[in-house]
Amino acid sequence: MKDISLVLKMMLKEKRDILISIFFGFLAGITAVSLFAASGYLISQAAFAPPIYTLMILVASVKLLGITSAVSRYGERYFSHRGTFTILKNIRLKVYDQIEPLASRLLQKYRSGDILARIVGDVESLQHFFLRVFYPPVVLAAVFTATIFFTMYLSIGVAMTMIGGVIIVLVVFPSIFYLFQKKTAVTMREKRGALSSEFTDYLYGFRELTIFQQAERKKQQLDNNMKQYEEIKAKENRQLAIREAVVIFFSFFIAVIILVQAGFYVSEGNLAGTLLAMLFMIAITVFEDTPSMAVLPAHLEESKASSKRLTEVWEKETQTEVAVHEIETDVPIQFDFKDVSIQYPTEKKPAVRLAAFQIKPGTNIAIVGPSGSGKSTLMQAMLTFAPIQSGQLLVNGEELDKIAPDSLWRQMNVSLQHNHFFYGSIYENLRFANKEAGEEACQEALEKVQLSHFSLEDQVLEKGTNLSGGEKQRLALARLFLRDASVWLLDEPTSSLDAITEQEIMEEIEKATKYQTVVTIRHRLTGLEKMDQIIVMNHGEVVEQGTYMELMRKKDGYFKAMKELENSQLV
Amino acid sequence: MGVASLFMALAIVGQSYLVVTIIQQLFLDNAAFSSILPAVFILIGMLLVRTVFQYMIKGSGIKMAQTAKVSIREKLLRHFTSQPMIDADKGQSGRKTSLFMDTIDEIDGYFSQYLPQVIQSVGIVLIVWLVIFIQNWTSGLIILVSAPFIPVFMMIIGIKTKDKSKEQLSELAAFSGTFLDTLQGLPTVKLFGRSQEQRNKIDQDSTSFRDATMGVLKVAFTNSLALEFIAMLSIGLIALEIAIRMIIFQNLSFFTGFFVLLLAPELFSQLKQLGSAFHSGRASMGAASRVEDVLDEETTPVSWGTASLKTDKAPELRLEQASFHYEEGNFQLAPASMRILPYEQVAIIGKTGAGKSTLLHVLAGFLPAKEGNFLIDGIAQEKVEKADWFGRIGYLSQQPYVFSGTVRDNILLGSQEEQHDKVIQEVAEHAGIWKWITALPDGLDTIIGEGGRGLSGGEKQRIAIARTLLKKPQILFFDEPTTGLDIQTEHILQKSLDTLRNQTTMITVAHRLHTIRNADKIFLLDQGEIAGEGTHEQLYKNNEMYRKMIHTQQGGREA
Repeated sequence: MKDISLVLKMMLKEKRDILISIFFGFLAGITAVSLFAASGYLISQAAFAPPIYTLMILVASVKLLGITSAVSRYGERYFSHRGTFTILKNIRLKVYDQIEPLASRLLQKYRSGDILARIVGDVESLQHFFLRVFYPPVVLAAVFTATIFFTMYLSIGVAMTMIGGVIIVLVVFPSIFYLFQKKTAVTMREKRGALSSEFTDYLYGFRELTIFQQAERKKQQLDNNMKQYEEIKAKENRQLAIREAVVIFFSFFIAVIILVQAGFYVSEGNLAGTLLAMLFMIAITVFEDTPSMAVLPAHLEESKASSKRLTEVWEKETQTEVAVHEIETDVPIQFDFKDVSIQYPTEKKPAVRLAAFQIKPGTNIAIVGPSGSGKSTLMQAMLTFAPIQSGQLLVNGEELDKIAPDSLWRQMNVSLQHNHFFYGSIYENLRFANKEAGEEACQEALEKVQLSHFSLEDQVLEKGTNLSGGEKQRLALARLFLRDASVWLLDEPTSSLDAITEQEIMEEIEKATKYQTVVTIRHRLTGLEKMDQIIVMNHGEVVEQGTYMELMRKKDGYFKAMKELENSQLV
Repeated sequence: MGVASLFMALAIVGQSYLVVTIIQQLFLDNAAFSSILPAVFILIGMLLVRTVFQYMIKGSGIKMAQTAKVSIREKLLRHFTSQPMIDADKGQSGRKTSLFMDTIDEIDGYFSQYLPQVIQSVGIVLIVWLVIFIQNWTSGLIILVSAPFIPVFMMIIGIKTKDKSKEQLSELAAFSGTFLDTLQGLPTVKLFGRSQEQRNKIDQDSTSFRDATMGVLKVAFTNSLALEFIAMLSIGLIALEIAIRMIIFQNLSFFTGFFVLLLAPELFSQLKQLGSAFHSGRASMGAASRVEDVLDEETTPVSWGTASLKTDKAPELRLEQASFHYEEGNFQLAPASMRILPYEQVAIIGKTGAGKSTLLHVLAGFLPAKEGNFLIDGIAQEKVEKADWFGRIGYLSQQPYVFSGTVRDNILLGSQEEQHDKVIQEVAEHAGIWKWITALPDGLDTIIGEGGRGLSGGEKQRIAIARTLLKKPQILFFDEPTTGLDIQTEHILQKSLDTLRNQTTMITVAHRLHTIRNADKIFLLDQGEIAGEGTHEQLYKNNEMYRKMIHTQQGGREA
């Protein structure tokens, strides 16, 4: 129960829709039972050629019950689905509330976006909990209870049989199925993961595989994986079908038992013969909806797993207190790296080792080095997004983790390597940086980054998938022009642009940041002559630092060698 | 399946027949209780038959889904791999994987649920109707008149709402993606201090998502409401008709009346189940049509033949007026002629977008020449045996692919047979990665690639070099990396290439003056055309464009 407490809590917030749908569900079920009971009684009565008016009453009530049942079914469906989507909304908000404060720490932990996709997947799968796990047994139990009370009035014995049947269908079967469910779910997930990664390997390594003549072998492997996965999937489907068959057979069987039992009472003279058909009709109808109990364990298991994974995301995080000390706004910001080492928990090697340097207010700093050398990690650390293992990162002499991150970010303009854009217009995306920015200011910002061919109404798709790499980089910079900040952190802001555009935009940034601190990660070594300081990284270490002239004067210097290598490049 | 559905229908009829018999005997004939017991056992047997056949129908549907999915996946694989072997594009990777995994999984429902339901329903409805008609033709007539309303009604609603709801549903799918969008953008949200606004947005979006979805669902619900009404009306009419015939005309027995009254709901419940299966079937068909769309995309596979090449020596390569253009985009490689002798060092240079990589891909057999000829040792490329060709080439790209598996597996890709660890050590040392491997906790057995240890660009590059050294190709195609490598890797690359120099034809898309100066032959490309050919000295003397390129690069300095 603990595992699904999250979804239960969120579900119970929607009491109204839940109660209404249970009410309609009950009404639909009970009217269906009454309908068939009445028709069973009708036919039995008809055999004795009764006065026509009793018949008319029965026929009319059959009609009325039929209409009520159909309409209630509609209401049940409507409200239960509406409730489901409201519950989904509640879960989303809850998850957002939980994850939002942890965002930076979660990103430290899981550098890929997979975790987020998994969270979203889990939230989506929880929406089935109400509809397929919680709701069906509640409604069934209610309908059964009412029916059993009615049956008791006719025959205690039959009612007892019915109670037994209910216990088996609602409790015994689901429990047994549930025990079997757990095992297959795990192997299924594993096989699916294996297939997916085999596929990626085969497709994206296809050229290598062809050249090294391993494509056939790998294809064989992939085929095997494919067949195994389908085999286990089919097995699961067959299991579900068997369960369904078992439940269906049992519900017919219990109806037959009741028929025999009631038949015995009739032959003994303890029960009126006219009730025989009716009791059978009641039994067969009331057990008609029970096949939903066959799929319940599968959904329960899924909901539990999702709910557990979700809560783990935030429960495992030690609830360290978020620093509340605000950084003063009128003091220029200085960063001091004192032998800072950074290591991500999932990595065996530190990403940055013993980095020591200073970033003084108002200076222009470049960080250079080969890919994977730890440049971006340094910047992530300044944003509180990286786990510092040892050493100190001081902001105006204070340790970074003692400062409220919000107050730091407020003074920063950041362009990350992968900038995020939201589904919406260019205008909305620009105003994300500054709510007060008007159309004119936004247009101006677009011009500065040479995107004036965009109109403010143009749509940006999720994650900016309809923009090219260069457009995304420029749009990210345009956002920054709308926002005042004393520190600019730019991670390869123009790597997808051609050299000329790059230079022009960098000039615009220079104009806007005369008095500001600017830290830029560079992939090209051009235009570094004017920098106040260049920090050269390799294999996670700061190998050199100094001005351009200082670095170029070094004999056998790393930077000098890099620069010479670049100079020998033709394009 | 069809046979099973007939048997199931017969079981249903038999089941109702027996129930009626039992009730009739006990209720009207006042038979002794023991006399009905045989009927009870047969009845239970009928139930068993019914469930078994129902399971059999389902089972064969599941089987069909299994085979269909395997064959669709295989088709999709063939399709993907017959596309030109260009660089593994990471951005596309997610989309193709999701098509291969999720979309095809969605098709499952069509075979495992929809199709079995259709066959089951059709068989049962026909048989049960026939029995009703024989028993009491008037009831049969009522059903015959009312039942067709159900599919007709569904079709009318379906046609009316299909496009609208399809459009709406795809919009909704995009909409539900906004939650992921927000979570992925959380760092941006926080950096710009917009957490509260985003929370409100999730709230609003989810609410309007709910309302929009309900709009679509309402149609489906109204559909089944109408269905229930028709069924109800029809059953009600039958009940009325039976009652009138039993009481007023007294020309219908209790037995027949009850029998028909038991069978009619079975018939309609099959129709109802068909209706709901129809909805889920449509979602599966949507998935199928998405796969269909991808399969319909044109591919330009490279065809190969059966002729074998001389084994001992690197083949001579010749292009004769060979051209290539992509299906999309307007880039075109103009008809080009070139000749590359065994063991020559060739450099291909030009500006970004000049077609250097395309030319390299045509020469490596990754892309087909659209017109003209590509001759390998004088044999047309499409006649050469594929394995023979790929057995002798190597290819180093800017993004080498690392497979999920051990370091050993990844290096051994370069060898056809089992190799001693000593050999692996040798090539790894040459590739400058042996020290790195020994420092790993599991050494050669460390898992790398997807799901394993992440590698830096330099480490990947060195693994690829080790592979290539192990293979010792006769021709090496090399797309020189432009940026991002560290200096050590750069040196190692250079050294390794030098060791291959005299035993390998080397064709390099060159970005470095060093490579160009050492080349026996340089091809200068401009806008898809060969604008110059010769040694460095020849081109420098005769080619204006080449001179200009070299000058701008050197910026007046001596390189």
